[in-house]
Amino acid sequence: MSAVGRDIQHDSARTHVTGESVFLDDRAPLSGELLAGVVPSPCAHGRVVRVDVAAALQVPGVHAVMTAGDIRGHNRFGPVVHDEDLIAEEVAVFLGQPVALIAAESDTALRAGVAAVAVEMEELAPILDIDAAIEAGSFLGEERTIACGDLEAGFAAADGVVEGAVEIGGQEQFYLESQVAIAIPGESGQMQVLSSTQHPSEVQALVAEALGVPFHLVTCECKRMGGAFGGKETQAAPPAMMAALLAKRTGRAVRFRYGKDDDMRFTGKRHPFKSFYRAGYTRDGVLTALDVRLYSNGGCSTDLSAAVLERAMLHSDNTSFIPNVRVRARICKTNLPSNTAFRGFGGPQGVASTEHVLHEVAVATGLDPLDVRRANCYGVGERNVTPYGQIVTHNTLPELFDTLRDESGYDARRAEVDAFNGESRTQLRGLAISGVKFGISFTRRTLNQANALVNIYLDGSVMVSTGATEMGQGVNTRVRQVVADGLGVDYDRVIVAVTSTDKNNNTSPTAASSGTDLNGAAALEACNQLRARLAGVAAEMLAEPDTGLAAEPEAMVFADGVVRDQRRPGREVRFEEVVTNAYEQRVSLGERGFYATPGIEFNRATGKGVPFRYFTTGAACSEVLIDRFTGEMVVTRLDLIMDLGRPINPGIDRGQVIGGYVQGMGWCTTEELVYGDDGRLLSYSPTTYKIPAITDLPPICNVRFLDAPDHPISLHGSKAVGEPPLLLGLSAWLAAKDALRYVLPGNERKLALPATGEAILLAMESAPRGVAGRTQE
Amino acid sequence: MRETIDFLLNGAPVSVAGPDGWLMLSEFLRRRRALTGTKVVCAEGDCGSCAVLVGRLESGRVVYRSIASCIAQLIQLDATHVVTVEALRDPGELNAFQESMAREHGAQCGFCTPGFVVATQGLMEAGEPVDSERARRGLTGNLCRCTGYDAIVSAVVGTDAERMRPVGERFPDADVMPALEKWATESVLVRDGRRSQFKPVSVDEATAYLADPSGSAAASNGSNGTGHGAEPATLLSGGTDLGVVHNKTGEMSDRLVYLGGVAGFDDVSVERGEDGRSWMVVGAGVTLHRFQREMAEHLPDFVEFMEWFGSPPIRHGGTLAGNLCTASPIGDTLPAMHVLGAEMELASDGAKRTVPIEAFHTGYRMTVLRPGEIVTAIRVPLPGPGEHLRLMKVSRRKDMDISTVSAAFFFAFDGDVLSDVRVAFGGVAGTVERAAAVEAVLEGRPATLERFEEAAVVAEAAYTPMTDVRGSAAYRKALCRNLVLKLWHQIDAGRFAGRGVEA
Repeated sequence: MSAVGRDIQHDSARTHVTGESVFLDDRAPLSGELLAGVVPSPCAHGRVVRVDVAAALQVPGVHAVMTAGDIRGHNRFGPVVHDEDLIAEEVAVFLGQPVALIAAESDTALRAGVAAVAVEMEELAPILDIDAAIEAGSFLGEERTIACGDLEAGFAAADGVVEGAVEIGGQEQFYLESQVAIAIPGESGQMQVLSSTQHPSEVQALVAEALGVPFHLVTCECKRMGGAFGGKETQAAPPAMMAALLAKRTGRAVRFRYGKDDDMRFTGKRHPFKSFYRAGYTRDGVLTALDVRLYSNGGCSTDLSAAVLERAMLHSDNTSFIPNVRVRARICKTNLPSNTAFRGFGGPQGVASTEHVLHEVAVATGLDPLDVRRANCYGVGERNVTPYGQIVTHNTLPELFDTLRDESGYDARRAEVDAFNGESRTQLRGLAISGVKFGISFTRRTLNQANALVNIYLDGSVMVSTGATEMGQGVNTRVRQVVADGLGVDYDRVIVAVTSTDKNNNTSPTAASSGTDLNGAAALEACNQLRARLAGVAAEMLAEPDTGLAAEPEAMVFADGVVRDQRRPGREVRFEEVVTNAYEQRVSLGERGFYATPGIEFNRATGKGVPFRYFTTGAACSEVLIDRFTGEMVVTRLDLIMDLGRPINPGIDRGQVIGGYVQGMGWCTTEELVYGDDGRLLSYSPTTYKIPAITDLPPICNVRFLDAPDHPISLHGSKAVGEPPLLLGLSAWLAAKDALRYVLPGNERKLALPATGEAILLAMESAPRGVAGRTQE
Repeated sequence: MRETIDFLLNGAPVSVAGPDGWLMLSEFLRRRRALTGTKVVCAEGDCGSCAVLVGRLESGRVVYRSIASCIAQLIQLDATHVVTVEALRDPGELNAFQESMAREHGAQCGFCTPGFVVATQGLMEAGEPVDSERARRGLTGNLCRCTGYDAIVSAVVGTDAERMRPVGERFPDADVMPALEKWATESVLVRDGRRSQFKPVSVDEATAYLADPSGSAAASNGSNGTGHGAEPATLLSGGTDLGVVHNKTGEMSDRLVYLGGVAGFDDVSVERGEDGRSWMVVGAGVTLHRFQREMAEHLPDFVEFMEWFGSPPIRHGGTLAGNLCTASPIGDTLPAMHVLGAEMELASDGAKRTVPIEAFHTGYRMTVLRPGEIVTAIRVPLPGPGEHLRLMKVSRRKDMDISTVSAAFFFAFDGDVLSDVRVAFGGVAGTVERAAAVEAVLEGRPATLERFEEAAVVAEAAYTPMTDVRGSAAYRKALCRNLVLKLWHQIDAGRFAGRGVEA
């Protein structure tokens, strides 16, 4: 029985529910192990005048204190551009940036040590938000442009123009397991790093550079993460680097773990954006031109901001074909922890901007927002070229919109909402459908490669290892399924090994929704090679020349734990026997597969090309209920449909879809990053930063996939699922706007993202007469 | 006097002395017992990853409820049975809910999962199936970032309740109760250097110790000269506030007195007052969960409101007395107790007094409690026929959140005319106090929209709230106004007219 396509339990489900699954900080301390911590910069922007560590070194239990000058390798790091000090050297550029590192025997000693370091700073004026950065001309990198068509002609052809600006908030990843790493010094300068990271190869490289040793002296391994969502793509590295520096210094194992508060305060988040837009439309609501200028708040250093910005630009069309487009975009440099990857990676912000524009067009034309979205939707075989020149193929968007309209009962519910809002003095309802078209592939072409190691042991059991890291998304389960089918053995005969740089080198981060696509394909390639070799062995075993059956490797079929000769029913041999035989004959039972995504090419200078292998698409309908006195909002119903091709594991994919939607809904509603004037994050723990709780799951939740559409592009006809559904959370934000338009048409454009209760109430309050809770006559 | 903290852990006795007595339960489990299924995420009781079940004696049996172990001081567990996720699987296989979770994909990254397993065990102790509404209400204390909860709700609903063994079946009461009963009668004093924690078992013992620790059997060894009165003791009740402070600052009083073991502090009774009114007398150790339950037949509106107080594990730990003594303007029981006119019963060494709640709260996190004085009970007058209580809470997220603004309204109807109007807001000033100006507009007047609009404007003008992480001053002022209007709409919708307490 084929494993691919089956609803198999998560690889770790059974140990997760018993509490046996080991997360990094669950490991018992090694002998002599020390705890590491940082002395954080007390200000968001300041010149380091003096860091006096003498008193800290006298604290009992403190074993090492390091400042920037103590680093022998590189102190300056970054995944792409090396433009951030691990330990602030001359100027601290965000509040919480380490100015010293400490290793101590206990939490108590660590706390005392941190308190004993005297830090003198000369405070400089911080730049915290996009407006301030624009005014100060504080940017990272140059402005980028993607354009197509003739903007002027597009506006000339328009019946009307909408223009404005919309602010889009950031978001904390809020993985439950905070950043953590353990560094274990070995012999001959080796360093083993255990890290909760999406990118072991980068941790390996950055640790090696910080230590000033060749990469091969450092191994990095990651068994699993307690959630990541992009937050551990690059930002798992500093904790690992700090642990390794202190491990080298002390010769002892060192553990670095952030508490949740410090993790939230000191690490990067989803980029806040501000979009300035101008769009032309016809009286039928069709966009004729879109001119957008996006600014992102990159924080103090480049990190992944350039790629995030690029993906925002590449998603500024979303589901709409727009003939004349100019998207300009730039990263603001501010004094916040460097903003970084978060599920969607700029896509959600680019899409939020455009969906806001479409809503504005609906209000301006008096058309239903869904009709506007549908009128602009990419066509099948026509109206299908993106602003960057890629043709949208295998387009199911029209089908998704129409099916969802029908299945959600959109039109009847629209009538209900009209009636309800006409009558109720206490509540408002809102309804919105939005879609997603998410480009699959790293936009940095190089990263679209993977290798996988498949080992078959003499009993026929199989171990596979790849560069993919497991963060709950189920990549290990899917890779197991692919390998099981690839060798024709039972799913349980395959396990996935700990991800480690000594088995898989130069791997890409597990990101961009590509974990299964890339690593599964590499594993399949290894299986194909192994199968070809074993087919030769099996063919000899099954051959029966006397009855006319010559050895014919091509005729071997691997399935159900046996190898069959398809020419003669019943002629088969158990997989284990073939393996044993192969070993006896000195045939290699291990293989390394490699995969590089074909057909992608993007020219950054011209903004043209084919950056994506394909698109994952979907649509969602959210309905909201708003308390007109308080602005409090609940999402009362969700209908969602996605085209995921033929999922490798439909159960796991369903979890990704609903989890992604709810995370997106949180970003759009209750999750607000609040900063003080000094750059201090005020919403730095779950007490003040509110991710959705279980009661925020819409009570009606209809989620389904399009029935097995044919997508012969990716692994086993599946489609990547990690990020796309998050963007459907925007339908909740659009539903809030929809509701507001019933009370104060035009006011809903002021509703920024997130639409908190406060934002909603204050939008309603800005009515000419200030008493909310009454219909405006 | 016992000098160790004693409790059962997964059925086996544990005795803790010395510095380990200052560990939070979650730390003790993870670091001293390698029970790492209990996770710590927020260390403030907000996420549920650290949930454990605590069995306590209640009416002759052991009842297990989930609590947040990250903010539980070990001394609070004295004389209890602590059950962790490791003890919840069935021999050799998963329990019914664990099986359901695995099948339904209720676990993704797995970090929150043990907490859900523990909380659901608590929810299913009655042995009955749990529907989706109860699953949602029962799990508001557990955050998950991966699943969006849908699969978890399905897993709870899909659990075979008959196969779900209650904790008491794994650890029979007959084995557990003798130890708990014995320990419950013993007062405890644990020491580490100059630090001490004291768990008295009677009011007299508590007040005597507070009056003169050096003169009692519980003498501080005074190594650094901290004698009598040098440092006032910190009183610990449910610990849902103090535990957070301890985790976030590393600070804990050198003299901690845990009052949860005082005999009689669990009592709740209803008595007829001199005014002819019924009063509920709530012992200082009564948890918010218990209080909510006891109120069910008297004040349904309060019961509903309490659903939005913290989460089940917080209500299982936190107490009404603790909430009132913390005296935070965003303490959710404060506005209700102020408009009801609750009274605080206080005791100190050799003296007792009763203080009306308006006089009890004197400022931001300040009360009239004198050094050495404790709350022994709270007397809550219950509304009579024709009297109404309406409570409102506005927060960023509906569940498991702290109020941005809360409001309590008490009123009666004389025909169409409002009487005995009492109004209090939380979250708009340093302390909760009655909004006399708003009351004056409504008192003795017919309940018309115009009247309430006037009151709403007065409410808005009455406060100069601050802007903080939970909301701007403008938002809070708008809420004061709108909540008054919301009340009118509820009255207008007929929810209160001519009836007794809303059913």
